[in-house]
Amino acid sequence: MKVLVVDDFSTMRRIVKNLLRDLGFTNISEADDGSTALPMLKEGSFDFVVTDWNMPGMQGIDLLKAIRADANLSHIPVLLITAEAKKEQIVMAAQAGVNGYIVKPFTAATLSAKLDKIFERLG
Amino acid sequence: MSVDTGVHVSLEEAKLLVEYLETGQQEKADELIAEIQNPINSELFAEIGKLTRQLHDSLNNFQLDSRLSDLATADIPDAKERLNYVITRTEEAANKTMDAVESIFPVVDTIQKQIKAVNPLWQKLMHNKLDLPEFKSLCIDIDILLKTTDKESVRMHDLMTDVLMAQDFQDLTGQVIRKVIDLVREVEDSLIGMLTAFGISPESSSEPSKPKFGENLVEGPIVNAAQRDDVVADQDDVDDLLSSLGF
Repeated sequence: MKVLVVDDFSTMRRIVKNLLRDLGFTNISEADDGSTALPMLKEGSFDFVVTDWNMPGMQGIDLLKAIRADANLSHIPVLLITAEAKKEQIVMAAQAGVNGYIVKPFTAATLSAKLDKIFERLG
Repeated sequence: MSVDTGVHVSLEEAKLLVEYLETGQQEKADELIAEIQNPINSELFAEIGKLTRQLHDSLNNFQLDSRLSDLATADIPDAKERLNYVITRTEEAANKTMDAVESIFPVVDTIQKQIKAVNPLWQKLMHNKLDLPEFKSLCIDIDILLKTTDKESVRMHDLMTDVLMAQDFQDLTGQVIRKVIDLVREVEDSLIGMLTAFGISPESSSEPSKPKFGENLVEGPIVNAAQRDDVVADQDDVDDLLSSLGF
């Protein structure tokens, strides 16, 4: 399974990559914002996107909307891992078609649980 | 020929003018003519005087508050540098810690793998079901395990010391941030002082002002979640909200 981790902070990308590797995901690529991520998604056959919300350039929520609007990408599950914690934003993400929402700071157990849930739903 | 110039000469002024001319005081005569032509409005004059004084006082007050210009030209650029230092140091610390942890993971994995390899024969030994060739094989495996564990535990100890030492940023960044907080407080006081000088009461705005949100309401980490009802407190809140939306 090919995973794209999108976050503007390299340390957070590294944390997420380590946790994902522990959970058995070994094919992981990185991008530092939505506008870098989108062309990568269009070119490569990614199966899963983990993204931050608040990034310079293209925000995670806009990346999610762009993925859902693109017929070739719309099937890709997207997990938001973000410090953004306004209820209105969580509703916004749900309406945009997010598959999971993790609020920072988070734990390895939370990530594992959300991934299980996402892939269980997808079957 | 009569042209109304709006200038009215009184008899006294005319006499005075004649007197100046007769006694050869040309300058005084000219002054008098000028005065007659542009009578000074004493009220206007007084008003201009008052405004000039106020302007002068305001300018003086600004000069007195030269601290304000120091803040803008020196302290605030310095604070930006300090905050960048915090970013650099915390990033360094995070990477140092992860370097160490990422080196420890495979070490632990190796030891665990060797333990798993030893375990079946070891269980047999414990249950007294081990034959001699198996015993020899077990001895070799245990020998490898002991040597690996011995060597790698020294290495893990060193790496964990690296993790420990990577935390030294907290003291330094804490001091730097405290200094920036002091500066922010000083700028706040100066700004309030300035508002007051211009007759604007900082308390006058009716609604308590809120920090600005960015595009898509982005705000970054919420530091006062307990005092707000528009944000979630933790992951459980997120999950509850999402499930209430039928998620």
